Amino acid sequence: MTAPFVHAAPRGVGIEGLEAALLEAFQRLREALTAGRPAVVIVRDADLLGHGDPADAALANGLLGLVRALATEGAREQWIVNALAVDGEETDEAAQDVWVQRLSEPVGVTGVLIRLGDLHLGRVPV
Amino acid sequence: MSGAAIVTGAAGALGKSIASRLRRDLGAVLLVDLDEQSLAGVADSIGAHYVATDLTSEQAPAAVCDALDQQGWGVQVLVNNAGINRDARAGSMTDENFTTVLRVDLVAPARLALSLRGRMGAGASVVNIVSRAAFGNFGQSNYVAAKSGLIGLTRALAIDWAPDVRVNAIAPGLVDTPMTAGMPEKVLTRMVERVPAGRMGQPEEIAEVVAFLASPAASYVTGQTVVACGGRSIGP
Repeated sequence: MTAPFVHAAPRGVGIEGLEAALLEAFQRLREALTAGRPAVVIVRDADLLGHGDPADAALANGLLGLVRALATEGAREQWIVNALAVDGEETDEAAQDVWVQRLSEPVGVTGVLIRLGDLHLGRVPV
Repeated sequence: MSGAAIVTGAAGALGKSIASRLRRDLGAVLLVDLDEQSLAGVADSIGAHYVATDLTSEQAPAAVCDALDQQGWGVQVLVNNAGINRDARAGSMTDENFTTVLRVDLVAPARLALSLRGRMGAGASVVNIVSRAAFGNFGQSNYVAAKSGLIGLTRALAIDWAPDVRVNAIAPGLVDTPMTAGMPEKVLTRMVERVPAGRMGQPEEIAEVVAFLASPAASYVTGQTVVACGGRSIGP
């Protein structure tokens, strides 16, 4: 299996840094996908839910949207692009690595978000 | 100081409907758009004030604040409706088209909302117009990222600004506007066929959802995204 491209969401970019951060993610994801590499975007679940800095929340959700848009567009070309939400400092790195590998496998999964930890329980789907 | 509704993108069909509807509830409405000629026409037709400004400029929030000060208005409702799209497949998406959409659809509303927070009292409300496309759409990676980002911003501001100010979003599906009317008939027909309601939404139907979220009737609703798409988001 081709090594996955992994893009971790930067934090603290601020509102004025959103354009550059999302453009960079788009460029890198496009480059990886068109080269036939699977891609996984890592965000913090707390940012998806809007806990904390508004710009971090906008970026995490923007990246999730990007994953879904690229998965929609690359369905015919069998692009594999997924998202992994981690629980910040509490995340087990071994578990994170396992899920990056799983989300990169050509098993018909694309445009999917996996949320590690339990922060999502009792909260809205994102 | 009395409170007004501010509606961005008010020169367009959806913005006009939202402004017109909020005019009934609030009386004072400030319209914002880049297109001064159309904006003046809308303002005249519904009896609203307006400020023509480029929301992507750093001076835009100050221009809006100046217009509020001239009327002695605070902010009761902010509707971030202005938005654009520049569709292209990922392979041919230019950096400029990618960032232009982000600037208009995500950065500008964030900047405006943050700038106006100090003018919002208890009971004020922000409604961000996103899109059903935020859940994924073909050839719209820029638009999807921006609108999905705006949903994230909605949640974060809802938490930050509670309990005084509520912040929600609406994700419309296919809406009958001059923009959709300009689409090729075959494409439009195919899109409508995927809507369980069997038709496009009317701008007035979206405006009703805005009015609800902005009103005391929705006083226990914050941080949410209401999907108003005729069922398209659950359709086959």
